[in-house]
Amino acid sequence: MKFDLDAVIIEQDERDSPLARRVLAALAPGVPVQYVADGREAARPRPGADPFGAGKRRMVLLRRRAPFLMGCPAGSAQFACCGYQVMILASNCPMDCSYCFLQEFVADNPAFQVYSNYSAAFDEIDRMIHSAPARQFRIGTGELADSLAFDTLTGLTRDLVPFFAARQTVTLELKTKTDEIDHLLELDPRGRVMVSWTLSPERVWRTCEHRAAPPAARIAAARKVLEAGYRVAFHFDPILAYDGAERDYAALIDNLLDVIAPARIAFFSMGGLRMTPALKSAARRRFPADPMLLGEDVLARDGRLRAFTPLRLRLYRILAERFERAGAPVPGYLCMEAPSVHERVFGATPPNPATLGARLAHGRSPVDAPKDSRQ
Amino acid sequence: MPNRDTARNLDDAIRALAAARRLPESHLARWLAMDEQSRSVFLELAGAIRLRTGQIVQALELLGEIAVREGKTSAEILAAPELARISARAGSAPEQARAFIDALRAIRFPRLRQAAERLEREIAALRLPRGISIVLPRELGSDVLTICLEVAREADLERALAVLADRRAAIARIAVMLGGSDEI
Repeated sequence: MKFDLDAVIIEQDERDSPLARRVLAALAPGVPVQYVADGREAARPRPGADPFGAGKRRMVLLRRRAPFLMGCPAGSAQFACCGYQVMILASNCPMDCSYCFLQEFVADNPAFQVYSNYSAAFDEIDRMIHSAPARQFRIGTGELADSLAFDTLTGLTRDLVPFFAARQTVTLELKTKTDEIDHLLELDPRGRVMVSWTLSPERVWRTCEHRAAPPAARIAAARKVLEAGYRVAFHFDPILAYDGAERDYAALIDNLLDVIAPARIAFFSMGGLRMTPALKSAARRRFPADPMLLGEDVLARDGRLRAFTPLRLRLYRILAERFERAGAPVPGYLCMEAPSVHERVFGATPPNPATLGARLAHGRSPVDAPKDSRQ
Repeated sequence: MPNRDTARNLDDAIRALAAARRLPESHLARWLAMDEQSRSVFLELAGAIRLRTGQIVQALELLGEIAVREGKTSAEILAAPELARISARAGSAPEQARAFIDALRAIRFPRLRQAAERLEREIAALRLPRGISIVLPRELGSDVLTICLEVAREADLERALAVLADRRAAIARIAVMLGGSDEI
């Protein structure tokens, strides 16, 4: 385990759950364990200078009272979305990226929560498969938590990977900024599991991505899981539009393609840093000296602060062209951008979310049209 | 301890100005948290060009952000020639205050300012007649150009459409620039 914990709190009724037993068996000596009637109360912010940051070091094992599956919370009719389905197995993350949307999203329950009744998610997935047997789904666990952080403690992938490996129409996407892949290397994904890394240039990692693995370590981990039979994908999200970003992101892609051949990359995604004004305030309060939070961001039509349009779109084009020139087509898509932006970057309007989701699950190009209409 | 007295006098003067302008406590705290020279330079400037409350708030926020971006103190930022000459140039205090905030924004958003100026020049080069205007999205916050036509008669409309058809390639080029072409 690479992340420190101040305490583990377990809901009384869940103390004999497989998850609780695994966590207690693997927990570092000296970490206090406490039992409570309702884990939701233990997940609330506690008084202190940084309740959100403190929450990250307090693991709460509790039963989830809501459905595990949901459409991606970033989805909206104003964006061209990727059909990503989210499986909520945990909430919050032991890493502490200064730009992270969780600073706003889980401000009211910032403890690192892991849901002990997660096998119920498997029933939900089976019901979803049966409701649309011809459809391909891409389901990820990395939206409200890093998929692999603490996996050495929770061992969730030991149940997840075999479950997905046995099903033909669902692809699991494990999204991470860590290199915690030890459990994955012991399992056979049978082509149904994809591991994706969020990648940022070294400068962004050093400035913003506190406690995350260095970019080179993430790429090296990707190479290892690829060789172990997993598919790999990369998210350049958020892209930070600082002075020198064009050069740094291009170099990052070159470094990636030096290690992993483009033909073996399932897809890449891009998304510029976008922050609601409330998120920016929260982030600035926690990281007042971080210059990356102070890009040339303006209020966009969706009410979020984003790098002004020509700058943001120029960065997308530079990255997309880098992949285009790589020698083998790497499918790409944009996160939380309008269809017109997709068209400017990739030369074609993206398909509807279900179709795009199915193609990404399958590893086919998200766009059909030739790229001569780009502007 | 003359230095401590000077600092106390300076802070009293800042508090007095803040009280007179009903400056929010959070922004007064931000001002008082600056190093002594920065506090002093900003006080002098705020008085000289008679910044209003909203402008002091804006200026403190911009100065704070520029300081983090550029690793400079507010005094060093305020010493930039484009800011220093504002209080010395002719014009009314409100004009000077507006110019000061504009200049600070240009330092805070240098590439945005450059891109917007470049696009404005391209639009001006179209030499559109009265009644036709091309409006850039506010702060280049989207990739959508707005074309406005003012027409009273059918003939006005035909004339306007003919002008747009004539300038079509140049307008399309501006739309491409707005979408992040290499020219930005």
